[in-house]
Amino acid sequence: MRIRKNLAYAAIYALILLCLIWALSPILLMVSSSFKTQVNMFEMPPKLFFAPSFESYEEMFFGRGDFPKFLRNSLVVSILTTAVCLLLGVMGGFGLARGNFRREKDISFWIISTRMAPIPAVILPLYLIFSKLGLIGTTTGLILAYTTFNLPFALWMMATFFKDVPADLEEAAMIDGCSKFRAFWRVVVPTAAPGIIATAVLCLMFSWNDYLFASIFTNRSTQTIPIAVSLLVSQSGIKWGQAMATGTVIITPMLICGLLVRKYMVRGLSMGAVK
Amino acid sequence: MEQAASRPLARKAKRNRTEFWMLLPSVVVLAAITIFPFFFMIYASFMDYRLDMDHPRFAGIDNWKNTFTDETFWQSWGRTIVYAGGGLIIQLLLGTGIALLLYFIPKFRNLLSTLFMLPVFVAPIVTGLLWRFLLDPTYGFYHWIVQRLGFDVQILGDPTLAMIAVIFMDVWEWTPLVTLIVLAGLQTVPEEPLEAADVDGANAWQKIFYVMLPMIRRMIVVALLVRSMDILRYVDTIVITTEGGPADATKTIGYYLMQVAFRFQDIGSAAAVGLTMLIVSTLMGRFFIKVLKAEEA
Repeated sequence: MRIRKNLAYAAIYALILLCLIWALSPILLMVSSSFKTQVNMFEMPPKLFFAPSFESYEEMFFGRGDFPKFLRNSLVVSILTTAVCLLLGVMGGFGLARGNFRREKDISFWIISTRMAPIPAVILPLYLIFSKLGLIGTTTGLILAYTTFNLPFALWMMATFFKDVPADLEEAAMIDGCSKFRAFWRVVVPTAAPGIIATAVLCLMFSWNDYLFASIFTNRSTQTIPIAVSLLVSQSGIKWGQAMATGTVIITPMLICGLLVRKYMVRGLSMGAVK
Repeated sequence: MEQAASRPLARKAKRNRTEFWMLLPSVVVLAAITIFPFFFMIYASFMDYRLDMDHPRFAGIDNWKNTFTDETFWQSWGRTIVYAGGGLIIQLLLGTGIALLLYFIPKFRNLLSTLFMLPVFVAPIVTGLLWRFLLDPTYGFYHWIVQRLGFDVQILGDPTLAMIAVIFMDVWEWTPLVTLIVLAGLQTVPEEPLEAADVDGANAWQKIFYVMLPMIRRMIVVALLVRSMDILRYVDTIVITTEGGPADATKTIGYYLMQVAFRFQDIGSAAAVGLTMLIVSTLMGRFFIKVLKAEEA
């Protein structure tokens, strides 16, 4: 009986290992390829141990691809979008969580369906409006475009986090003479800080990872890194070395941020349905 | 008496005032960037509207008629159903299976599930890039494996295989999310029914199918809804790998919309296509809210 049980465990661990290899090997292959020379990048089967080369990164940062510009644009747009959406979302989320409005259900429904709207269907009318307002190709335009999905996300998530904070907490502070807003700022916000940070990280990730909006709303001077990927792929022949290095640069910060708020990741990605 | 009844109301109104002003800026901003564009899209769908036009002309229901009589439109929706349906079924089965595996192990559950989660953070465009690299007919590792197994095919060059490939890109990236949602559900299953099943002499499979899965039904529906809304949202992997090809085999409705709008520059028809997509995603959102509320009640 014991042996059977141990065998079952061994089989389960083996299956999990297999799944891990399936999930992680593409990432490992990309990261390792980015440190290979063009010659040994294409050796089959791929080598796991090799003398690292920084050829691709040198080419990327100092070559003619203008990569630092892409990186800077991505950083500026993602950080500004996150700041705007977080500021509005934290306040609005509290209003949504605590307020008692007429048609509150409709407001929630509107918010979630905005967040879930298919990106191509959002891009089209925004493109028409932005071109009338001269916002195509500007950083402001891209930030506004990202706000269409990050603001409803931040509102929704913050409302679920604030609902977890007992209302007694701010009522106690109000009895001590705080105004509602002050009680919110001094008591509720610090209590919900982990949720705020998790929401911020996810907003950052959604903007950083976006390709489709950026492909329509940016021009040569405002392009972000995901665009660099598509340029490396579609130009005559694919520059695999640089493409792998660019991919690595895109995913590394998100892997780190994501792991830092791991506990709240599933909650965020399921729109608060999983606590 | 009257005072006692009116006081809570008065307090309620006062309590709401701060909340109202805190929510208002978000609602105004969101309305400006979503409701206005939405009505603009409805307007555009009734206009003869080309990208280079300053003054679109009223076209009646021409765009709608053209869209609904266009075979490509229906085919694109059909492919979307294959793409989304296939992807969702595979990742739901696989994700639930892996969640059960992780649930049953005594050690390292957190570490292993965290490692398994990593694909979720990868930008969809990079997922496409990765798979294009893996499937490249001259350099690709997966292509090399397939060849070693005795098949000489160009995966992204064959209509059926290309569709399977883009489905598996989505499966690769998002199965971990399904796993984590289901695992979170499994961890809330109380001990008692499982112990009762033990007493009744149930084996592991019976416990899974008759006790655990029914208890986490809601979580599985949540995973399904979250994923189906997102699978409709993104076209990134298709843009970077197949561009809708070969022979339109991977042209889903989202890709079709981008093509009508930005390649054929027919804004009016594109708006009509976009509205059909919005109707579908809105219906799913409505259902999602219902599922969430059902739990709260």
